[in-house]
Amino acid sequence: MLLSTLLLVPMGVAIACLVVRPYWLLETLNILAAGIALTLGIGLAFQVLEHGTVEEWNSFLYADALSAWMVLLISVVSLASSIYSVGYFRKELASGAATPGKFREFYVLTPTFIFAMFFVVLANNLGVMWIFLEGTALVSVFLVALNNQKTSLEAAWKYIMLGSVGLVLGLFGTILTYASAVDAGLETMSGLNWSHLMSVADRFNPNIIKLAFIFVLVGYGTKAGIAPMHTWLPDAHSEAPTPTSAMLSGVYLKVALYGLIRFHTLTTQCVGTDFSQTLLLNFGLVSMCVAAPFILVQTNLKRLFAYSSVEHIGVICVGLGLNVPLAVFGALLHMGYHALIKPVLFFSAGDVQQKYHTLDMPQLGSGLLKSMPVTAVLLTLGIIAATGTPPFGLFLSEFTVLAGAITTGHVLICALFLTALVTVFSGFMIHTSRLVFGSPPIETDDNRASCGGSRVAMGFLIGMLVLFSFWLPASLISLIRKAAEVVGGGS
Amino acid sequence: MFYRDPEFGSRMITLMAAAALVTQFLMVGQRILITNIRLFAVQSFLLSGIAITIAWFQNAQHIYLAAALTFVLKVMLVPWFLKRIADRMRTQPEVQPLINAPVSLLLCGGLTLMAYLVAQPLTLDLKREAGFELGHNTLAVAISLLLLGFYLMVSRRKALSQVLALLTMENGVFLAAISLTYGVPFVVEIGIFFDVLVAVMVLGILVYRIGETFESMDVSKLRDLKG
Repeated sequence: MLLSTLLLVPMGVAIACLVVRPYWLLETLNILAAGIALTLGIGLAFQVLEHGTVEEWNSFLYADALSAWMVLLISVVSLASSIYSVGYFRKELASGAATPGKFREFYVLTPTFIFAMFFVVLANNLGVMWIFLEGTALVSVFLVALNNQKTSLEAAWKYIMLGSVGLVLGLFGTILTYASAVDAGLETMSGLNWSHLMSVADRFNPNIIKLAFIFVLVGYGTKAGIAPMHTWLPDAHSEAPTPTSAMLSGVYLKVALYGLIRFHTLTTQCVGTDFSQTLLLNFGLVSMCVAAPFILVQTNLKRLFAYSSVEHIGVICVGLGLNVPLAVFGALLHMGYHALIKPVLFFSAGDVQQKYHTLDMPQLGSGLLKSMPVTAVLLTLGIIAATGTPPFGLFLSEFTVLAGAITTGHVLICALFLTALVTVFSGFMIHTSRLVFGSPPIETDDNRASCGGSRVAMGFLIGMLVLFSFWLPASLISLIRKAAEVVGGGS
Repeated sequence: MFYRDPEFGSRMITLMAAAALVTQFLMVGQRILITNIRLFAVQSFLLSGIAITIAWFQNAQHIYLAAALTFVLKVMLVPWFLKRIADRMRTQPEVQPLINAPVSLLLCGGLTLMAYLVAQPLTLDLKREAGFELGHNTLAVAISLLLLGFYLMVSRRKALSQVLALLTMENGVFLAAISLTYGVPFVVEIGIFFDVLVAVMVLGILVYRIGETFESMDVSKLRDLKG
């Protein structure tokens, strides 16, 4: 029942939001859905720890440790961004930037988006996973285009076109996988079921599986924002309304990456460890090295954070590509920490944007600490954490990935990894010190303080990050360890 | 009887696949938007013909459904919808390719050759049941549709032509699915068709909004976001 309830809650809320009129009820329903989802996600994590896997609907839905971990990430980020969106959209409405229609559209689309993401990580069938990955793309394109300005339409167009091409390639990869499964004698109905595929993967035709993985890597990699297929990402993530940016950057990239991980595991099982992990490693390093210079020269605050997401996806791919237990554990842990910190950055950028009506850093000038003290402090804390500075958890997870690289003796990889990290760190420090310190920035007509909702959301995430940086509960560690075993092909 | 003869079936499929490839080449060479939409409908019609033939000779019931869905969606609904948008936008009828037709056709010939080279080892790898041989032609055509669709997408400026290019890529994947594995599981099939329908509607709405805001469908004008 647990998995079905997890899907039904956001679905039901989406339908309810279609008919509900009062604003406060829309907001409450959204927060409630995310809160219930988080509770159910925690319940699911414990069930998975106890039983290993949970299956429902005649094993149409399937959850192992990796799915449970993804469910946790999705629900935490959804909860934070639904709390944040209360204040954000109230302010947008008051200033006339959003119409009541857009307001309603947001509150219907967001739970639908969450529902589709849950389905992606809970589907047993790789084909169904593809269907809902496409579903998330189709829902989120309206969220990206919500502002209906020239720039947001441009971003939405790039997002949907590149995403759709990626998904078509991903579908081709899925069909090739299915062809080799049928070839290996699997019956047609369960031929795409993840739980079946893994058990017969060593009988697959290696050439076809390799080709399939390349298609899926390019296809789902586009959705996951892996360079060089990342070009839509900074546009979409910076033009979307802030709560959506947080969801896209904080968790949606990882949902797409989850699809890739499933195929990676399958390929590893079939053709041995060398093939897919080398590809992931190289693409991960490319992502980090491509993102770093863009971070150095970036002038737009939200685009800066979007490129930082490309870099973090690179870190995760490097960890997965090293494919030693330590590095995979680090990569999955990094997913979690990044999901906690990236929304904080976007939320503070959203507050700045609402006050100064611009995200252009040269135009914003300096002295944010004087004009918006709370936001400035949270922003700085977020940036310190996001660049992997101790004592925050991202240092821990990045260091774990690096330790994995060192133990396997990849000297060149370590060097590139560190260079990219240092470049990103210095880029962020330059931008932050310019923005936060100094004399007050440009004049603004809007002198209201930023709303309480945004502070609650940011405080919630930073609090969790600090808590989990110093104290990871034993059950959470064993969940991530089990998830790492799933990624490592059970070995 | 000839309609019971598998040999006849595989020849028919090869013929229709070749015709589908021809429509794709025509789309590359054709400059009028409405004709492109019609060509897409013809291509989809040929695909549903291939699906029916495979369903008949393989005795696979669910491929009939795929064929019927292809016919209703891609031969009737989608072209009608795209045409409606094109009419409402009242754009110039020409698609304005970035590369002229002769060079495009030459490049696409090369891409088709590549598709055949890729498809050959693949079909040899997959064991086939005796009696009904699809040959590597169909898979090669499927990969050609994918590659040529990709080419169409990067060489066109108009938003609607890019949508059409995406749809032909999807046609290629559909052809690969029915020729490699005689269709995918039922739930997945329905889901994919549903997604295609929704995607076309989403794209249509977006094209319309772009047309209203920019007063043009030329997506090469969308270049404010950089760096």
